[in-house]
Amino acid sequence: MLHLPVLAVVISLLGAYLIPLIYHFRRNLASVVAVGISGLALCFSAATAVYVSRYGAFSYLLGMWSIPWGIEVYVDRMSAFMMLVISSITFLVMLYAMEDVRHELTEAPRKWYWTLNLLLLASMMGVVMAGDLFNLFVFVEISSIAACGTISVKGDRRAVEATFRYLVLSTLGSGALLLSIALLYMVTGNLNMTYISGEIQKAAFLYPKNLYAALTFMVVGFGVKSALFPLHSWLPDAHSAAPAPSSAVLSGLVVKIYIFALFQVLSRVFGPVIAGIPVETVVLLMATMAVVLGSVLAMGQKELKRMLAYSTVAQVGYVFMGLALGADRAVAGGMMHILTHALMKSSLFLAAGSVLYKTGKKNITDLAGLGPRMPVTMGVFSLAAASMIGVPLLGGFVSKWYLALGATDAGKSFYALIIIVSSFLTALYFLPPVISAFFGKQPDDSVGKGIDEAPAVMLVPMVILSIALLGVGLFPSLVLGLLGYRG
Amino acid sequence: MISQDIVFSWLPVLAVIVPLVGTLVIYMVEYRSWRLRNALSVVTAAITLIVVLDMYPAIRAGKIIEANFPRIIPPLGMSFRVDPLGFLLAVTTAFIWLMVTLYSLEYMSHEHHKNRYYPFLILTLSGCLGVVLTGDLFSLFVFFELMSLTAFVLVIHEETPEAMRAGFKYLVMTIVGSLALFFAIVVTYELAGTLKFSPNGFFFDTSLLSFLGFLGYIVGFGVKAGMVPLHVWLPDAHPVAPSPASALLSGLMIKTGAYGLLRVIYNVYGADLIQAMGWYNILIWAAAITIFLGSAVAIVQDDIKRRLAYSSIGQMGYILLGMGLFTQSALVGDIFHIFSHAFMKSTLFLCAGAIIYKTGLRKIKDLAGIGKKMPITMGAFTTAAMAMIGIPPLNGFISKWNLSLGALQAGKPFFVFLLLVSSLMNMIYYAPIIITAFMSGDHINDDHAEHETDKKRRLFGEVPPAMLIPMVILALGCLVFDLFPENLPLYLATLSARLLFR
Repeated sequence: MLHLPVLAVVISLLGAYLIPLIYHFRRNLASVVAVGISGLALCFSAATAVYVSRYGAFSYLLGMWSIPWGIEVYVDRMSAFMMLVISSITFLVMLYAMEDVRHELTEAPRKWYWTLNLLLLASMMGVVMAGDLFNLFVFVEISSIAACGTISVKGDRRAVEATFRYLVLSTLGSGALLLSIALLYMVTGNLNMTYISGEIQKAAFLYPKNLYAALTFMVVGFGVKSALFPLHSWLPDAHSAAPAPSSAVLSGLVVKIYIFALFQVLSRVFGPVIAGIPVETVVLLMATMAVVLGSVLAMGQKELKRMLAYSTVAQVGYVFMGLALGADRAVAGGMMHILTHALMKSSLFLAAGSVLYKTGKKNITDLAGLGPRMPVTMGVFSLAAASMIGVPLLGGFVSKWYLALGATDAGKSFYALIIIVSSFLTALYFLPPVISAFFGKQPDDSVGKGIDEAPAVMLVPMVILSIALLGVGLFPSLVLGLLGYRG
Repeated sequence: MISQDIVFSWLPVLAVIVPLVGTLVIYMVEYRSWRLRNALSVVTAAITLIVVLDMYPAIRAGKIIEANFPRIIPPLGMSFRVDPLGFLLAVTTAFIWLMVTLYSLEYMSHEHHKNRYYPFLILTLSGCLGVVLTGDLFSLFVFFELMSLTAFVLVIHEETPEAMRAGFKYLVMTIVGSLALFFAIVVTYELAGTLKFSPNGFFFDTSLLSFLGFLGYIVGFGVKAGMVPLHVWLPDAHPVAPSPASALLSGLMIKTGAYGLLRVIYNVYGADLIQAMGWYNILIWAAAITIFLGSAVAIVQDDIKRRLAYSSIGQMGYILLGMGLFTQSALVGDIFHIFSHAFMKSTLFLCAGAIIYKTGLRKIKDLAGIGKKMPITMGAFTTAAMAMIGIPPLNGFISKWNLSLGALQAGKPFFVFLLLVSSLMNMIYYAPIIITAFMSGDHINDDHAEHETDKKRRLFGEVPPAMLIPMVILALGCLVFDLFPENLPLYLATLSARLLFR
């Protein structure tokens, strides 16, 4: 029994409510406390990860109430890994936000920003460790609301519109989830995942249609929230309209939490009956569309952050693909891609944010000639872009390597080819900004004058993300070992 | 049977690390002193050459050098393995690189962005050496990527719209190639469970997947090697780069594609499998088309550097052909041609660079009479061009002789005919340059009294010795490595051919 994972959630939740209070008395302290709390959550997650990799998965009963009544928290290697990814990226992004929000947000909503971020952190960690469907749903809802909050906090018309769209679609997703959970409860009489899974074989025999419906609603619900291809329409607006740090968290983490939750539910709840149902085929089809069409759509974008957002649509497809292929190496690749994409996409969004911070420009063409003026920012951007394309020695290569191997393991080399095609498309839209940043010139010379590097508080998190990306690329066994995968 | 003792040595690692460290040091000092930057570039290239040469005793003794680092990027690991083939190419690479760096000092002195040029020049050396010194496909791929991506900076050095377009084309084709390689390596790893080169190949699988993997290798390495129809980037990218960089691109980097294919055919799939399945047919017919088209298109090029670039495509065709014939002498000719073409083409590009440096002229018809004003430059050019055509006392002759012999032994006389036709075409496009340069008088254009070109022609004159010496050494190399009785490259080529194919 280890209290740490639960404590990580609890302190983040508490912190979320304390922040406005602190802000009331000491304005400058609020952001420091918020970052401190996320740092503490990171420490707890790291300790949990060490514990789990040493002693294996464990379940924790809140307040020692036994299972049907109490709340069960279940932490295995995968969820410990997810906690670590979530808390570390959030910590770095919040560090970056300390300076960025001063510039990007107006005075009034700033105090809520930290609250929303901590809420998001708590709920994301809650989702990955939830042991029963009810808590899963609660945390999914909190994270959806908090995510909407971190977008609309910017307050301009575009952000509010995007939030509204996100909110509507996300609520539809939540409705589908709720229906699914209700159907499962109806046929099995339980909400705890382990208990349902014990009952589900009988239920599948007695009420197959209910179960099919529940499964469909589950896939659609999480599909909408994680922007699986035809259900992605909210994402580009939402992720590009948000303030840069929020975009980094939303694109880097939030969408993947739902993917993880979906596959947790599929394996832990539907595990015994899933074999006969072609869920994987459907998900693979959608993932293929996402991977190819997401990249195609990204190519047409003029605005940098919108391009990055469409790229997320494509990259989400990789994660879905890896987890749906089911072969060991494919799952390792998918999980690995959750981490590497979180690192890459958050560096990219943070770099885009610091360009915005310094120049106020947001189109891709505005990057021309910025390389020599903002070498660190554009260096981080280029490294992450190279990793996106899959240049070896960087994290993105490792996840693609395992995804492609896993696809051939599963006897579906077709998907390895899809990954190749999509990497090529990725190269087509990531290369021009990188090239023009370092070798291009501004049409008007006066534009770039006086632009220099972003402040250190913003640079440090970006550089750490880049180093992590390189570290994962050079020593992937560290991550794979945490996931319990060897080979 | 040649003994294959394996010895451990840090030398191959060092050969890769020295330029990497050199790059860092150059990058750090270059804003303080340009003299130090130039000196360090030359010193780094020289030390690298010495490190590579240090491997010679072990290679001569018939040993194979290995160094494995399985803990980096497990489960693949980095590994280095130097056999005669790798050694021959590494020495060639390091030597020509040193010559080109020396040449660059003067050539680049009037250019812009020198602080970007030198670090990337040395960094590319690291990638290029890494390709030929590594012992498994994954490490090769890593260095292949490093080389390809850093070479982009050399290609677009001028930053003209033309260069940027060529550079983008280069980058896109490079990525197509590397993704094809990625796929092929994944397939190999999936089917064989390992990626380490071994004599006669390490897996036997005739499935469709295996074939797709082989195609992936052909595309991946073919892009770099300028194989038709994947050559589209080459005639744009090689000429727009500064001349020393063109020499490296056309002389050395293009060869890494051929080297990779050699490894894939003989050390990954194994000659038996490729022969049994007839997959080599793809390669030799692509090579035939490459030879023919490369040479034919070179004839109609007006720009001297573009003509040289197309000539490279044609010559790469020889190399691709040689590895698909599966006879001992074809392979000897093949490997020796990798070596000799490196010398010939870098000499030619350096000479073209000398002309451009002095006059800015690139059109062949404007070069009338230049041989009288720049006799040494054009002398070196003529030597290399003759070697290219395959005239006996020059090294190009040995490779063509062996290649033709190999084609005959393989029972494919058509390719001998093709080689002859191609030599004829080489003659057609090199001879006019030499003839205009030496024979035609330096008469001023009659129609326009004082034409712009004529003004430039007044500037003809020999380039400074700092540029002449590397050119002359390389041109002499074309001669020496045919005439001398103790022909080390040929010995190494024979040895590697025996190791690769028995």
